[in-house]
Amino acid sequence: MLDERKVRLMTSLAMYEQGQGKEDFKISEYYRKDYTGMHILFSFFWTTVGYACIGALVVLAGLDYFMSHMSVKLFMTLGIAAAAGYLAVVIIYAVITSHIYNKKHRNARQRVKRYNHDLTKLLKMYEKENK
Amino acid sequence: MDSLFVLRERFQELYSKNSRIIDKAVQFAVALAAFYLINKNVGFMKLASSPAVILALAVICTFFPTVMTIIAASVLILVHMYAVSLAALGVTAGIFLVMYIFYFRLTPRMALIVLLTPIAFALKIPCVIPIAYALVMPMAAIAAVGCGGIVYYMMEYIKKAAAGMKGSDAAGLMGQVSAYIKTVFQNKEMWVMIAACIICYLVVYTVRRQSVNHAWKIAVVAGAIVNIVVVTAGDMYFGLNSQFTSLIVGGAAGIVVGLIMELFLFAVDYSRTERFEYEDDEYHYYVKAIPKLSVSSPEKTVKRINGHRETEIIDAAEVRRKSKKQGKKPENRSPVREGAPGRGRDMEEVDKMLLTQSLKQDLNLK
Repeated sequence: MLDERKVRLMTSLAMYEQGQGKEDFKISEYYRKDYTGMHILFSFFWTTVGYACIGALVVLAGLDYFMSHMSVKLFMTLGIAAAAGYLAVVIIYAVITSHIYNKKHRNARQRVKRYNHDLTKLLKMYEKENK
Repeated sequence: MDSLFVLRERFQELYSKNSRIIDKAVQFAVALAAFYLINKNVGFMKLASSPAVILALAVICTFFPTVMTIIAASVLILVHMYAVSLAALGVTAGIFLVMYIFYFRLTPRMALIVLLTPIAFALKIPCVIPIAYALVMPMAAIAAVGCGGIVYYMMEYIKKAAAGMKGSDAAGLMGQVSAYIKTVFQNKEMWVMIAACIICYLVVYTVRRQSVNHAWKIAVVAGAIVNIVVVTAGDMYFGLNSQFTSLIVGGAAGIVVGLIMELFLFAVDYSRTERFEYEDDEYHYYVKAIPKLSVSSPEKTVKRINGHRETEIIDAAEVRRKSKKQGKKPENRSPVREGAPGRGRDMEEVDKMLLTQSLKQDLNLK
């Protein structure tokens, strides 16, 4: 005899396992600080690459200007501005990344907890059935 | 107005029954439109710009998640850029990389906006995108609208300048790179359009979150007006010679799309608004509750009046019994059997009686 409650519970569990659960299980393997820290490191790397790309595009666009106005003073000013810009971008992106991945980890943990709770409920149903 | 809500219910029913097919059809249409527009504007590689290729690509993308369409569109653009020149490829790839690193890496679901924004720009209805997305998305989507605008104007530049980007020596490439970046990022029209879209987005997003009645309608109309005003002001200031007809058509399209979205996503009955006021230890609450509008679509019942049992609502046997009691059975007539066709006049008699019975029931006659 089919137990409708059990079928419903199993369906929702299977849907979660095959959908969002895949990512959630991976995320919940980490502690929140480790997970966020890892992504801040990735962010630092990607921000550096991105900043280098922007720098290259700016230099290429203004190459004529830089060549014709090249001086130590201009070089120093540009260097300081670029370094300050880089620091600002890295810090801003670290903060944004920390916020996003903290939230992501928190939400994933909540969903996994709910999944575990449902799983326990299902096990209890089986135990009750076997008695 | 009720008929609109009935129509909405019907659409929702239809969608709930065939959501998978409809989703895939929309994904296919978006992919096809994106690839077609890419090929129409920057289709410099003949092999990649043939209709068979874009059709095949669109079909393949339909069976994968949406992000695949975005990747395919980006690759298609880069392939065409490679056909133009290495400089075009390098700059375009660099700009895409920057967009990915600083934005789409963190919010991949926003990438679809970058695909839809150039389509809206090409159709001369850019106003639709900020209005539509500001109604349903968070503030973070604003950057995606800007990125979409940049992608569109990059393609516009390449479309016009491709003929002159042929040199392959180092000096020629440097000149092309420099001209590409300068022209795209010093394009006043692009910045005016992006500014108009961003301001429109901010207005719609801010107004639709207010607790005033008809907030969505006000937001949509205000957004369209602000968009038109900003573009007109920019046009007058920079002397851009924008087409005002298409600007107004774009604004009107934005309003229509916004109102349709309101019908489907935010249908509430302001006439039944309730206000509550209460407090706890820490806060004082002012609550405004607006009930959602829900109209159930009327069910059509088709009543067929004939002698066949499978479509009959009235009990035919009972009618026949009554007809026998009344002694109206003419002579030399074979008895009527259920489901026995070809009984000519008998069937006609039964049909008439059934019709009478049915009409009596319908009209509540005794």
